[in-house]
Amino acid sequence: MSGRSALAKLAIGLAGVFALEGCDAIQSALAPYSPEAAKIALLFWVMSIGGGLIVTLMAILTGIALLGGASARGWLSRDATIIGGGLVFPVVTLTAMLGYGLMLLAEGTATTSEGEPLRITIVGERWWWRVFYHDRAGKGFETANELTLPVERPVELELLTADVIHSLWVPNLAGKLDMIPGRKNILAFTATRTGVSRGQCAEYCGGAHALMAFDVVTMAQAEFVAWHARAASPAGGTRTSQEQSGFDLFMTRGCPACHTIRGTSAAGRIGPDLTHLGSRRSLGAGTLPNNIGTIAAWIVDNQHIKPRNRMPAFQIFDGRELLELASFLASLQ
Amino acid sequence: MAKRQSQFQNLGMWIAAGILILVLGAFLFAASGIYNVAASRGHLAAIRWFLDFGMRRSVATHSIGIAHPLLNDPDLVQLGAAHYQGGCAPCHGAPGAASNPIVQHMLPSPPDLAKAVRSFTPQQLFWVAKHGLKYTGMPAWVASGRDDEVWAIVAFLVALPDMESEQYRRLVEGNAEPLRRNGRELAQFGKGTEAISRCVRCHGDETHGSVNALVPKLRGQSLAYLELSLRDYAEGLRQSGIMQPIAATLDKEAVAALAQYYAHLPAEQGGPFKVAGSEERLKRGTEIASKGIVESGVPPCLACHGGKSAPTFPKLAGQHARYLAGQLRLWKRGLRERTAQGAIMGAIAPHLTEQQIGDVAAYFENLRTETLQKSAANDQIGALP
Repeated sequence: MSGRSALAKLAIGLAGVFALEGCDAIQSALAPYSPEAAKIALLFWVMSIGGGLIVTLMAILTGIALLGGASARGWLSRDATIIGGGLVFPVVTLTAMLGYGLMLLAEGTATTSEGEPLRITIVGERWWWRVFYHDRAGKGFETANELTLPVERPVELELLTADVIHSLWVPNLAGKLDMIPGRKNILAFTATRTGVSRGQCAEYCGGAHALMAFDVVTMAQAEFVAWHARAASPAGGTRTSQEQSGFDLFMTRGCPACHTIRGTSAAGRIGPDLTHLGSRRSLGAGTLPNNIGTIAAWIVDNQHIKPRNRMPAFQIFDGRELLELASFLASLQ
Repeated sequence: MAKRQSQFQNLGMWIAAGILILVLGAFLFAASGIYNVAASRGHLAAIRWFLDFGMRRSVATHSIGIAHPLLNDPDLVQLGAAHYQGGCAPCHGAPGAASNPIVQHMLPSPPDLAKAVRSFTPQQLFWVAKHGLKYTGMPAWVASGRDDEVWAIVAFLVALPDMESEQYRRLVEGNAEPLRRNGRELAQFGKGTEAISRCVRCHGDETHGSVNALVPKLRGQSLAYLELSLRDYAEGLRQSGIMQPIAATLDKEAVAALAQYYAHLPAEQGGPFKVAGSEERLKRGTEIASKGIVESGVPPCLACHGGKSAPTFPKLAGQHARYLAGQLRLWKRGLRERTAQGAIMGAIAPHLTEQQIGDVAAYFENLRTETLQKSAANDQIGALP
């Protein structure tokens, strides 16, 4: 196999891999779940295909310049060709692209749906997401690290930050929008497909930035109403004796200093709300799957899992206590 | 040209041969054992002078640039004296008590410090106490990060030349009772006055409290925490050149018994805290202890250190502010993070500023110790296995 054909095979292979990557729908700008994301995907295709066509055209012209006959080359070197193809064409196409892109990415209220928008405030923290669902009465409830949305209803995300610049990015639903200290940004969109997607922080914010992700679940409106009612309710229900021991451990080993569980006297504001921890899809802002084992692992070893995150490693529990505490937390559905 | 080159080559070869012969000669000299390493014989005067000269020059050079705190602080001097009695006096002697004849037959023998310290600056004394000396029996400080403890020793050493033996005895004995034994008891149990594990010298007993603001009050402290601390010191997880040697001499039963003793003593009363500007300071400290510091993500202290918390979390009410502030600064320097509980504070304390450290320390010293006594009942549940 000659060097050049091997290189070509490699290039095609890589292109194929990257194309397939984009097809994984859980965190992909090419699998839009909302009209806003669809516009961005369209922009992507327009620019990619258009750019590809232009590259092909340039390759052909280069080929002509190198290998063509005298008359072809002569045509190529005429003033009209150069000014038309080298100045006018780029200015027109790029201006059109720019205008289209700016129009597309303009921030503002959702235009595609009627109905009162669902307002959610998301505060970027180091390195997790504080999510507050507003309701009509002006109150609401707080949760963390997961976003649940209804379809066919406009959503307004009010983006704030508690410390440094973060950026919210759910490629399936919308473009990136920064969270800037001292400023409130509004990201508006309407989800149109049910399913699970994933978002992450898109602005470097220090040590654990790469492990600051979150899950987004879009569901039918009726389902969302039921979910909302359950999520707004305080932690409760009967507990087994193991879970009760875990609860006692939780309350006496310093956890309430930073964490809140609504319905108990734990009201710490420094770390994520844990009221319905058991029903989340992931732990540690999208870092670990959520089960008793990973909860225990996080408590004991979080500095190795997500180095420099703000929670200390709690190695003060023996095996039995750890199991009790983890089963209590897993029971917070 | 060639001749000069070969001259150099010759010279090089001669030098190499010379070095080889010297090395071989030195090895043969050592292997033959002719040289007498007996400590009983002492050094030749010239060699002794040279070794001493080398030591002093090395210490002087390596102690350049060491900045020292105020050394005439009475708390610091007493802390240094109390450790000196247990850790240094066995070799170096003390005012009114020469060292053991065994130690005096070491080579080099540990000098009488009352005279010897006059020829060193405080910075040099600090360096020697912290790093020890090669080719002698002078050990390095057990906890290499605890410069604050070494300065206590230096503060004492600086005051030592002018110290009478009676004054020294009062400093180091603190409130410890003299031990009177009859002949049979002496024969069975010895004099029993070795200082290193007599806790009351610094930490007090039923009738006396801790001797100064650098020594933590132990009376009424959580039983589980006392045991945990001694265990952490014994294993070297918690760094202290003063407490580690002490904890290492205690076996499991002794640790349990001592912890029981101190946990069940009535707590020393704390406060009122009478330092200039203390009203403001107490207000800020109360704010931090009950609400935390939102901007830096510091949780409220009382969430773990007040009311119904785990028995292994220490009670802080009434504790010396100076001691608390010192411990918080250790966390800021990353020196108390190796224990399981220390790791928790290690994520919190570094976010406190110097002023906030002073504020919370003042708050806790001023806190009444009723909370201590109320939760004494918790000790039954929480004692370590």
